[in-house]
Amino acid sequence: MLLQLKNIFKWVNSGGQRIFLLKDINLNVHEGEFISVMGPSGSGKSTLLNVIGMLDAFDEGEYQFLDESVHDLREKNRANLYKEYIGFVFQSYHLLDDLTVKENLEMPLLYKKVKGPERKAMVADMLDRFNIVGKKDLFPAQLSGGQQQLVGIARALISSPKLILADEPTGNLNSKQGEEIMELFKQLNQEGVTIIQVTHSEKNAAYGSRTINLLDGRMV
Amino acid sequence: MLKNYLKIAWRNLAKNKAYTAINVGGLALGMAVTLIIGLWVEDELTHNKYFTNKDRIAQIFQSQTFNGETGTGPAIPRPLEKAFRDGYMDNFENLVMSSWNNSQYLKYGETSISRTGNFIQREAPDMFDLKILKGEKDGLREVNSIMLNESTANALFGDEDPIGKTIELNSQYDMMVTAVYEDIPVNNSFSETEFMSTWDAYTNSQEWVKNAENSWGNNSFQMFVQIADNTSMDRVTSIIRNVKKELDPDTEEFNPQLFLFPMKDWHLRSNFENGKQVGGRIKYVWLFGIIGAFVLLLACINFMNLSTARSEKRAKEVGIRKSIGSQRNQLINQFLGESFLVVLFAFLIAILLVLVFLSGFNELARKEILFPWGEVNFWLISLGFILFTALLAGSYPALYLSSFRPVDVLKGTFKAGKHSSLPRKILVVFQFTVSVAFIIGTVIVMQQINHAKNRPIGYDREGLVQIPTFSQDFTGKYELMRNEFLASGAVVEMSASSSPTTRIWSNRSGYTWEGKPEGFQEDLAWTAVTHEYASSLNLKIVQGRDFSREFPSDSSAVLLNETAVKYLGLENPVGMFLKDDAEEDPDEPLKIIGVVEDMIAQSPYEPVKQGMYVFDKYGMGAYYNLRLNPKQSASQNMAIVERIFVEHFPNIPFQFDFVDEQYGEKFAAEERIGRLSGIFTALAILISCLGLFGLTSFVAEQRTKEIGVRKVLGASVFNVWNMLSRDFLKLVTISCFIAMPISYYVMNGWLQEYPYRVILKWWIFALAMIGAMLVTVLTVSFQAIRAAKANPVKSLRTE
Repeated sequence: MLLQLKNIFKWVNSGGQRIFLLKDINLNVHEGEFISVMGPSGSGKSTLLNVIGMLDAFDEGEYQFLDESVHDLREKNRANLYKEYIGFVFQSYHLLDDLTVKENLEMPLLYKKVKGPERKAMVADMLDRFNIVGKKDLFPAQLSGGQQQLVGIARALISSPKLILADEPTGNLNSKQGEEIMELFKQLNQEGVTIIQVTHSEKNAAYGSRTINLLDGRMV
Repeated sequence: MLKNYLKIAWRNLAKNKAYTAINVGGLALGMAVTLIIGLWVEDELTHNKYFTNKDRIAQIFQSQTFNGETGTGPAIPRPLEKAFRDGYMDNFENLVMSSWNNSQYLKYGETSISRTGNFIQREAPDMFDLKILKGEKDGLREVNSIMLNESTANALFGDEDPIGKTIELNSQYDMMVTAVYEDIPVNNSFSETEFMSTWDAYTNSQEWVKNAENSWGNNSFQMFVQIADNTSMDRVTSIIRNVKKELDPDTEEFNPQLFLFPMKDWHLRSNFENGKQVGGRIKYVWLFGIIGAFVLLLACINFMNLSTARSEKRAKEVGIRKSIGSQRNQLINQFLGESFLVVLFAFLIAILLVLVFLSGFNELARKEILFPWGEVNFWLISLGFILFTALLAGSYPALYLSSFRPVDVLKGTFKAGKHSSLPRKILVVFQFTVSVAFIIGTVIVMQQINHAKNRPIGYDREGLVQIPTFSQDFTGKYELMRNEFLASGAVVEMSASSSPTTRIWSNRSGYTWEGKPEGFQEDLAWTAVTHEYASSLNLKIVQGRDFSREFPSDSSAVLLNETAVKYLGLENPVGMFLKDDAEEDPDEPLKIIGVVEDMIAQSPYEPVKQGMYVFDKYGMGAYYNLRLNPKQSASQNMAIVERIFVEHFPNIPFQFDFVDEQYGEKFAAEERIGRLSGIFTALAILISCLGLFGLTSFVAEQRTKEIGVRKVLGASVFNVWNMLSRDFLKLVTISCFIAMPISYYVMNGWLQEYPYRVILKWWIFALAMIGAMLVTVLTVSFQAIRAAKANPVKSLRTE
C-alpha cells in the first residue's frame, strides 16, 4: 500500500460556522494505480490532492504514507518525504519564469542534493525522453502551453517519484495537446508510476484505473 | 545550488531594471555616504596616533576661578617647571617646557620664509618620537640649535644638505640646523610645528620670558609631560593638583587647580566649562556617525520595502519551490543570498562613488583622508558592513517571502492581507521622519550661522589688512612705516596692536579703582595699541576721546569697551584711574580717557568680553593694522604696500591677512558642519524619494486592474492621481508631525551652546513640512499620472 487516508476531515471556520472542505475521506491507494478524482467545482478535489501531496494540512484523521504517519511529522520531515516520493503537475504548469527548461528540470535535483555530473545525466535523459532537447535553453515564456506542461511533467518525473499528483493537467491545453499529455500519463502508469489526477473531463478520467467522485467534500 | 540561486537573482535583477536601479543605486548612495562618514570618523578618532607615546603624553592644564567663574586653559607659569623637577619627577618620564607655536622668519642665504614653530626643551623629540630623516634625534642639546621638518628644510635648502648649516631666525639669532624630521601629518595636534628650537634660546633672548622665571602670576607658557610607566593620568593629576596653590600664596584666592590633559582628549574633548571637561568635537563625531547610520538605514528600508512590495510576484516562485521540495531555510538562504548579491554590487558602486567624491569631501571637510586600500582592517570591517547590511535589508523580505504557504500561492488565491502593507507604511513614515528632521536641522544650523554672521561686530572689517611684525627688524620702525604707508596713498590710516583684531592674546587682572567692591576679582581682555587704533578700525568712541598725539600723558592712558564699564561698575568712567596693585615695581596708574564700542574679537557666538586697550609705549605691536584706500582696488593698494614693505624689510617675507577673511574663519567650523549636513540631508531625501518612487510604481502596477475598472466607470485622471497620491501624502504628514517635536528638542539643545543664538520660529517647521509634501507629490505624481492615463482596455485585457 502506497498511502492510506482514514477519516480525514478538513474545515474552515467562517462566521461562527464550520464549513467542511473534506468530510470523512477514506482512501487506500496501491502502488501502480491510476486514479481520477472527479466532481463539480468546489467539491474538494484540489483540496484532497493537496492533502495527499502534503502541501495542505487536515484537521482530523490519519494519513499513512509508505507506513509513515504524516499527521505526526514535522514540517521539515514532511517536506523531505514528498521531496523524495511525490511529483506535482499543475494546471498552469508553474514553471519558474526566470529559469530555462534545463534549469527548471534541474531544480528538484538540486533540492535533493544530487551531485553535478549525475544531475546533468538525469536532465539529459529527461530532455531526451520528452523530445525537448532542442528547447533546453529556452525560457518557459518561449514555449507553447503543451510544451510547458511537458516540461512540468518532466520536472515532476525527474526525481523518479513513486506518486504523481496532477491537478487538471490538461485544463489549460487544447484537446490535441491534452490527449498527448494523457497518453503520456498512461504510458508512465504502465511503467509503474502511481498517478492521481484531478479532472473535469470524463474522457480524461477514463484513462485511469479507478475514479473517485467527490461532492461537497464527501466521497460518493 | 548556489549557482542556481545566483542565476535566479541575477536574472531577476536584470529583468526589473528600474527596480534594480532604484535598489542598487539607492543602496550604493547610502553606503557611499556611510563609508565617507566612516572614514571621517576614523580620521577624527585616530587623531595624534602618529605619536607612539600618545597614551602617556599629556599637557598640564590649569583651572582658576575669578568671581565664581572657573576658566580652564593650558597656560602655566614658569616656576612650575622647577617645582615639578625638584619634587615630582618620579611621576614623569619626560617633562618639557614650550613656547606657543608662532610664526617666525627663517633665512638662509637669500631665501627667507615664514614658518610656524616653537621653542621647546631638549627631551621633546624623544618624547614625541619624531621620525628623524637627517641629523640626530637629540638635536636640541646646544642652545643655538634648530630642528626643521622636511618641507621647511626643502624650502630653505633645496638639494643642499641642511645639517650643520646656520640659519637666521627672525633676523636675530643664528641657529644651527641639527636635524630634519618627517613632516608631522595633518591629522595631528602638532601638524603645524614646522620647526623646533631650544627653550634656552627663548628664555635667554626675551626679556619678559627671563623675568617670568620666578613669577607665579605670569601664565604664559605651556608644559608637556610623558607620565612614568608605572602610573596613570588620574594618579598624577591627584598628586600635582595643588602644587601651584601651595607654593604661591598670592594666587591662592583664584584656587589654581593643575591637571593632566591627556593627548587622546586633545582633539575631541577639549571644551571645559567651569573646570569640568564637557566634550568638544566629539559631538560632531557622534552627529555624523548618527547621520551615517540613518542614511544607511534609509537605503536599507528602500530595499526592504521594494522587496516585500514585489513579493506577490515572487510568491509563485516560493510556492513552486516549496512544492518541489525546498525547505523554508533554503528559501531564506536564497533570499538572503540575493540580498547579499545586491549589497555587494551596491558596495562596489559605493566604493567607486567614494573614490570620485573623496577629494571634494576632503576639501569641504578640511581633511586629507586617503582611501585605505592597504588596510586589512578596513576590508574586514567592510565585509562585516556588507554582511550586516545584507542581513538588515534582506532579513525581512527573506522571512516574509519564505513564510508563504504553497497551496495559497499556487491556487492563485494568494492575496497579501489587509495589513501586509502596514510594516511598509511604518518604514516609509520612519524614512520621512528622518528626512524631515534632517531638513529642519540643516535649516536651523544655516540660520544660526547667518544670525551670527549678521551680528554687528563693532568695527569695519572690510578693507582692513593685518601685517604680522614679529621680528626684531620692526622695532622702532612703526612711525616711519606709518608715514611711508600714508604718504603712498594706498593706506588711509594705520595703527599697531599687540594682538590681531580677531583674537585676544592677553588677559590682565590686579587693578584697583575707586569704588572697587571688596574681593572683586576682575579679568580683562588686554590689548596694547597705538594712537590711531580706533580710527584705523573705525571703532566708535562712545564716551570721552581717543588716544591723541597732542597729549604726551596718554602714554599711560587706557580705553575701555562698553562691557568693561558695566563689568567694573563705573558710573562716569572717563577721568578715573585703574591702579596696578602689585607691591613691587607697580606700573603707573592708567587713566581712563574714553570708552569704545564693543568689538567682537573672540567668538561671534559669545557675548563680547570686557576689555581694555592700553597705549603701547614699549612698542609691543605684533601687527600693523592698515586701513586701505577705499578709492583704489585692494590689489592696487596691496601692490604698493608690498613694495614699501620690501624696501624696508628686504629680509622678511611679505605676509598679510585681510581681516574680513580672518573673521570669516570663525565661522569655518560651523559652516563646514552646515554644508556637510546639507549635503547629507539632500542625499537622505533623495534616497527616501527613490524608495517612494519605487513604491508608487509598484502600487500603480498592483492596482492596474482597479484603476482600469474605475476609469471604465468614469474616473478622471485627477481622481486616479488623487487616489494614488493620498495614501503617501498621509504617511508623509504623519512623519512631519513626528519629526517636528524631535527636531525641535534636539536643535533647541544644540542652540543652547551658543549664547548668541537665533530664535526658533514656527515657520521653519511649516516650511520643512511643505517642502516634504511637495517632494512627495512630485515623486508620486510621475507614476500616478502614468497609471491614470493608461488605456483601461489594455490593463483589463491582461488580467
